[in-house]
Amino acid sequence: MRGGEVEPVSPVPGQPSAPTPSRTEALVRRATPYSIAGLVALYGLAAGALSLAGLSGLTAALVLLVGLVVLLAAVVTGVKRDARSVAATVERESKVVRDSVAWVRTALDHADVGMGIIDARGGWLHVNSRLGTMLGRSEADLLATSLPAVTAESLSGGITDSLAQAASSPDGGWKAETLQVRADGVAFPVSLSVTPLSDGTAGALTFLVQEIDISAAKRAEAIRDVMVAVRHVVATSATWEQAAPAVLSAMGTELGWDVAQLWSADADGKMLRLRQSWRADDPRLFEFDRAAQSMALPVNSGLMGRAIQSGVPAVNEEVTATSESQIGEAARRAGLSVEVACPVTVGGTVSGLLVLFGRGRRDIDSEVMTMLSMAGSEIGQFINRSQTTVALRRSEADHRAIFERAPMGIARISAEGELVEGNTALLKMLKHDIETLRTQAWPELRRAYDLAAGRANLPPLLAGISDGGSVQVRAATGDGRWLWLQLSAASIPDMKGRPEHVLLMVEDVTAVRETQDKLEESLSAQQRANGDLEKLDRTKTEFLSIVSHEFRTALTGIQGFSELIRDGGLEPDELRAYGGYIFNDADRVNRLIGDMLDLDRMESGRMSIRMADVDINEVLSDTVARAATASSMVEFKPDLDPRLPIVTGDRDRLVQVVSNLVSNAVKYSPEGGTVTISSRAEGGYALITVADTGLGIPPDEIVLVFERFRRVRSGAAQSIAGTGLGLTIVKQIVEMHGGKIWVESAVGHGSAFHFTIPLAQEAVTPSMQLRHA
Amino acid sequence: MPDGKAVTVLVADDNEVAQRLCRRVLEKAGHRVLTASDGQEAVNIALADAPDMILMDVAMPGMDGLEAMRQIKAQKPSMVIVIASAHSMAGDRERFLAAGANDVLSKPFRLNDLTAVVDKLVGGGHPA
Repeated sequence: MRGGEVEPVSPVPGQPSAPTPSRTEALVRRATPYSIAGLVALYGLAAGALSLAGLSGLTAALVLLVGLVVLLAAVVTGVKRDARSVAATVERESKVVRDSVAWVRTALDHADVGMGIIDARGGWLHVNSRLGTMLGRSEADLLATSLPAVTAESLSGGITDSLAQAASSPDGGWKAETLQVRADGVAFPVSLSVTPLSDGTAGALTFLVQEIDISAAKRAEAIRDVMVAVRHVVATSATWEQAAPAVLSAMGTELGWDVAQLWSADADGKMLRLRQSWRADDPRLFEFDRAAQSMALPVNSGLMGRAIQSGVPAVNEEVTATSESQIGEAARRAGLSVEVACPVTVGGTVSGLLVLFGRGRRDIDSEVMTMLSMAGSEIGQFINRSQTTVALRRSEADHRAIFERAPMGIARISAEGELVEGNTALLKMLKHDIETLRTQAWPELRRAYDLAAGRANLPPLLAGISDGGSVQVRAATGDGRWLWLQLSAASIPDMKGRPEHVLLMVEDVTAVRETQDKLEESLSAQQRANGDLEKLDRTKTEFLSIVSHEFRTALTGIQGFSELIRDGGLEPDELRAYGGYIFNDADRVNRLIGDMLDLDRMESGRMSIRMADVDINEVLSDTVARAATASSMVEFKPDLDPRLPIVTGDRDRLVQVVSNLVSNAVKYSPEGGTVTISSRAEGGYALITVADTGLGIPPDEIVLVFERFRRVRSGAAQSIAGTGLGLTIVKQIVEMHGGKIWVESAVGHGSAFHFTIPLAQEAVTPSMQLRHA
Repeated sequence: MPDGKAVTVLVADDNEVAQRLCRRVLEKAGHRVLTASDGQEAVNIALADAPDMILMDVAMPGMDGLEAMRQIKAQKPSMVIVIASAHSMAGDRERFLAAGANDVLSKPFRLNDLTAVVDKLVGGGHPA
């Protein structure tokens, strides 16, 4: 960091630039006849005077001055040498000259440039009024002092040295920028030009001094530099904390202040505190800085208070012992005498103050004030921006953390439908690396989403800005498992409201879904079971009702006729007949009980069948033979395939099946009917058919014939006795053998009962099948 | 011979043994007995022969006893009909009475119960 002292405007001592001799000066030096010299000088003077109005530059002034000096020298010399001879002429001419001198002097005094003549040590020999005005001194005061004396202390040595150097080589003049100090102590920059004058008669070296006040230009330059520095710092800093020291330093050094501070109010807006500070390298400023750091200043008092209230910079040009604020007191102790407070506004409200302190007296003109206002506004905007940036960055960091650490899978999908990134949870869930997720799993998942969304009447993934729906899809993981995923999409719009990208939240709901499925399954199983139970209950009640009805019907005869017998008085033939009724009904009850027990054992799986090789043809022949003996009313027609292989089965049970079917056929056949019994092999089974030419079964009853107690009772079948369980038992036995039973029937044309029993294993060889085919 | 006056009873039952029992018992009590083996036959006889009462089984092939009773009562509301059924689960008796039966006789029955119900409803006398 540069030192805080105001950078001196460097003069160029030791490097005096040789002033280019003007044409007029050259002419004057060569002229020997004084009259010619005088004429020439007059001519030059006149020319210079004529051009004076138009000339404000150094050249015009120089011409005038040189002309004047040469003229004076020529006149004096001429008068001495030719006094006696041309006294009259001289008298006449000197009047002209005197008039001209007065005229030139007047012009000089009114020149816009400060001018003067100094001796070799810098003492003022002559000054114009402009110079007096510039330096804030009267002509008399000025003539009592010297050029080095009105130069800033740090620079006056340089001036003295330069004068000494110019004295040794009288041709050398020089120009420099330096600081002059007014009588009131205010220093200001000037452009200084020092030109040696020819020694003429006295041999004493003199210099022409011209000074132009360049403080306005310098200030503009400084202001520009500060603004450039402030803008640069602001543009290249990320945060205000980072930018503040550089901004304060630029303000201090470029504008020549000793302390630059930034103050802002506490959260409650009542007290101001020092946030940042810069100070020149000075032990007293260190103390001041430390004192300022521990201060809390009320926002509504002092210079800072004024700046806050007015919103424009406030200046205290004289920090005195009576300053109302504690900061003023501390500043005074540190030798600081000027204080400027400039509000820093953020979004129209004052959020802080830029405060400058300086030593000595200084002009604080409107340009400086404007510059401070601009700097304050610039800083305010920067603070605003940097606060927004910080907030943005924080928000982005938050979102990034959420994205990365969320237990839920999150994917960012571009407006084109490409997966841009997926978080760790997603990769872990789907067991993919980002590349396979992007190229393989994602396209699948997107199709699944759109399909599921379509089914749920939701828009597809990239349909534009929408709330997005939530759908469940099935997806395969990288290690081959299937998951249920819940996908929730949220489209994120860009600044113009168009969909910029889509955030897709992915949750693994497999466990939930499976539990749900299981629950539903068990619920429906429960409902089925309940239905079955109800049905079972109804069936049981119905069964009990039917069974009790069957029993009571049979018992009606048994009880009634036995009561008749008991009461006595019956004829022997009556007794025999009633005994027969009783026996038949008792027998029927017995068969009923037997059938019911059989059926119960079969249905509960407690009846075992003893499998063995059975010649089914033999079973059929035997049964037919017995039936033929019992009934001569129907004709039996066996149609047995002699090549039928043996079957595997329980012979007794197969006899039961065939007997039942044959007995039914006989029962339902009219006198003279035909019962056909056939057998043949078909596809590894023996197919047996028992057909009658009997009553037939109405179509609506066919489906019921194998149900218990469903006797065909319509029409002529009404008087046919039976337990109503026979066919139910038959069906059970056939199915226990691994066969099937079914019936074909037409009312009036008879019925055909078919059943199959598997052939014995060794019988079912390919050659056998071929032989039987 | 019992005291009650002789009446004509139609026994409608698909069970031959039950028919024979009822005929034997009622004829011994001095009544005339007609028989029918299903509901339709019972309706026909009831309307054609005008028995004094009908002993009606329920479970019969074709038209059952309850439907036969409904048809008969529709044409002859005063016809006395006693349901004689082996259906004797809870509620069956009430069901039959609600259907219009004058009385219900559960099978199997005591022989006295049969004659008593006839005498009570149509005989006018008292049981033997």
